[in-house]
Amino acid sequence: MFIFLLIEIFSRSVPQACHTDLHAGQYYTLPTAQLRTLFPHGLPYRFQMQIKTFNEACVMVRQPALELISYLKKADYSRPALRYILYGETGCGKTMSLCHALHFCATQGWMVLHIPDAHLWVKNCRELLPSSSRPGRLDQPLQASLWLKNFKTTNDRFLSKIKTTQRYVWTKRETTEEGRPLGELVDQGVARVKSSSDVVGALLRELRLQAGGAAEGAFRLAVAVDGVNALWGRTTLKKEDKSEVLPEELTLVHNLRKMLRNDWSGGAILTTLSHTGSLYKPRSAYLPMELLGEEGFDTMDPFVPVPVSSYTEKEFESCYLYYMDRHWLQHPHSQTEEGKKELIFLSNRNPSILERLCATL
Amino acid sequence: MIWRSVDLRRTALRTLLQLQLNMAASTFCPVLLPLSRINCKLNGIYTLISLNKTAAYSTGLSVKKTGAKTGLPQRGGKELRRQIKQVLQPRTERMAVDQDWTAVYPTAASFKADAVPLPVRMGYPVKKGVPPSKKGNLELLKIPNFLHLTPNAIKKQCEALKPFCTEWPAALDSDEKCEKHFPIQVQKKDYVFAGPSLRHPDARIVTLTVKLSSLNLDDHARKKMIKLSGERYNKDTDTLTITADSCPLKQQNHDYAMYMLTVLYHESWKIEAWEKEKTRADMEEYVWEDSPSQKNILETLLRIRPLSEQQEEGEVREELLGREEVQEYKDSVTKLKNEGETEGNMQQYKEAVKKLLSI
Repeated sequence: MFIFLLIEIFSRSVPQACHTDLHAGQYYTLPTAQLRTLFPHGLPYRFQMQIKTFNEACVMVRQPALELISYLKKADYSRPALRYILYGETGCGKTMSLCHALHFCATQGWMVLHIPDAHLWVKNCRELLPSSSRPGRLDQPLQASLWLKNFKTTNDRFLSKIKTTQRYVWTKRETTEEGRPLGELVDQGVARVKSSSDVVGALLRELRLQAGGAAEGAFRLAVAVDGVNALWGRTTLKKEDKSEVLPEELTLVHNLRKMLRNDWSGGAILTTLSHTGSLYKPRSAYLPMELLGEEGFDTMDPFVPVPVSSYTEKEFESCYLYYMDRHWLQHPHSQTEEGKKELIFLSNRNPSILERLCATL
Repeated sequence: MIWRSVDLRRTALRTLLQLQLNMAASTFCPVLLPLSRINCKLNGIYTLISLNKTAAYSTGLSVKKTGAKTGLPQRGGKELRRQIKQVLQPRTERMAVDQDWTAVYPTAASFKADAVPLPVRMGYPVKKGVPPSKKGNLELLKIPNFLHLTPNAIKKQCEALKPFCTEWPAALDSDEKCEKHFPIQVQKKDYVFAGPSLRHPDARIVTLTVKLSSLNLDDHARKKMIKLSGERYNKDTDTLTITADSCPLKQQNHDYAMYMLTVLYHESWKIEAWEKEKTRADMEEYVWEDSPSQKNILETLLRIRPLSEQQEEGEVREELLGREEVQEYKDSVTKLKNEGETEGNMQQYKEAVKKLLSI
């Protein structure tokens, strides 16, 4: 029985796109080469540590991700982009489900626009420059240039094919002409850090206009934002006169909000709500309206909420067997039935708590 | 421990002897009266007893007189020992199970550990301990107790009050009938007070409760009344409570409360000119018409199927809003916003969105 289950948990040979409900609870491996290009900044920190330890990236196939992928398969891409919000309690696997869905999009040849954590853009910013292009807005050069670098790593092959539709003037001496490849735009942003926030805005605009076009260079765009509730919450940034910065005064946030509207077609908008990292929200808040607030809900409406919950019994079994297989559980008591029951009780089948517990064993 | 028992015995003896000496002094031995101190030798212990000339309180103990012998108490006899034992024991050990509790606590009194036969414990336990017992427990003394208000005691009080009451009208046999015929309820309190004056200051307070469903109010009037009453309105029970205590007399406060109710009622029916400027933020509940949600959904639907030249925008709008999926979506959003967010509401919203956008 034990050996039979062991063989069952790995579904390496099945191609990613064909994952169905039968594979729920099983693990599949992400190829390492794809990992570096696709997720330079997307995976949760503890999962990255796990990849380093186990020397492989094994992701469990779970029901929320399967649901999301089924919607993506069935959607009509000539219609306006659909918005999906993954919500659930802390540590239930929203970011992992999002990464799973993004991997699916990448294997289908989509372009992936992944903002790993929107909360990073509304707090702990060392440099806030007043925007050169618009008065009253604030730029965040460091965050913007870092994100552009990672974006380039992910989507290099698209950047040479897509052309700009408009002339952009950055400074008196620097411009980007119409018809230049997007790669040049991104390089401009990475090189000239001062104007990187505006570059991000221009990039988003270009992608919005050109996604899902009928031409042969057409591509589908997956916009993935983790922690989307940061865009409508409060910030901890202060202006020089010690007054609080509103999120709409930040260029990055303003442009991202425009991207999340469903006035463009040819792609999908996948987002997660995140309480960890959120500012000024009570610890028990995890439902969409609580975290997004009135304004956020009204902007994201209509969206498809996808709930993510803790492991089911089958999924817990699968995770436990995976750790056993990797010899991760060293404590002798954890390998017994009693120990397993203790783990269930202590973690309440919450994935992140279970992972932390097993790391100490 | 030994000294303690000796002390107890000493005090017990003292009380006994005091009693007997007093009785003896008053009745049989006038000789002893002028003596202020008597040295007695009892069981090898010299005790000093001071005789109280003036007060001779009875402790309620019925000390049996041994046979025909009167005068000075028996020394060291079985009788004496039994009597001492009775004084030493707490009253609880002599209580029968079916005793009359109202005799033990006829009025409000502080907690007496020796008179309450319950093993009560109260207080913060020391480490590795339990809450302290009731003997000498100050915490139990400090708190108010209702030992004088047992159901039996209240029954007795009700029986005593019955001669002063009139009969309850037979027609009002259910709460709904009372509510229907007497929607306004007025509560007044009377106090029996003994102080510099016989009047209790809180006796002037008058509380008036009325259910808004029993008043004749339309939608606007009801909302305005709720806004005007503010804190005095309870949403769960739909009652408005007006407490009047600003006048010195009860009758005046009663009139004032009735006046307040009348004024509230008439004012809420009036529509002022500035009420036209009511914004979405002032609304008590979420209304889907003209909300951002409605705008979003219309825009989305129009983007899915853009307008052709013949169709008019207004007509298309009406037609889209009339569709069943849009109505379902509207219901789910209104429910989410008004009733708060739950998993069930979210599921309903999800189904509505899926149907609407044909996922």
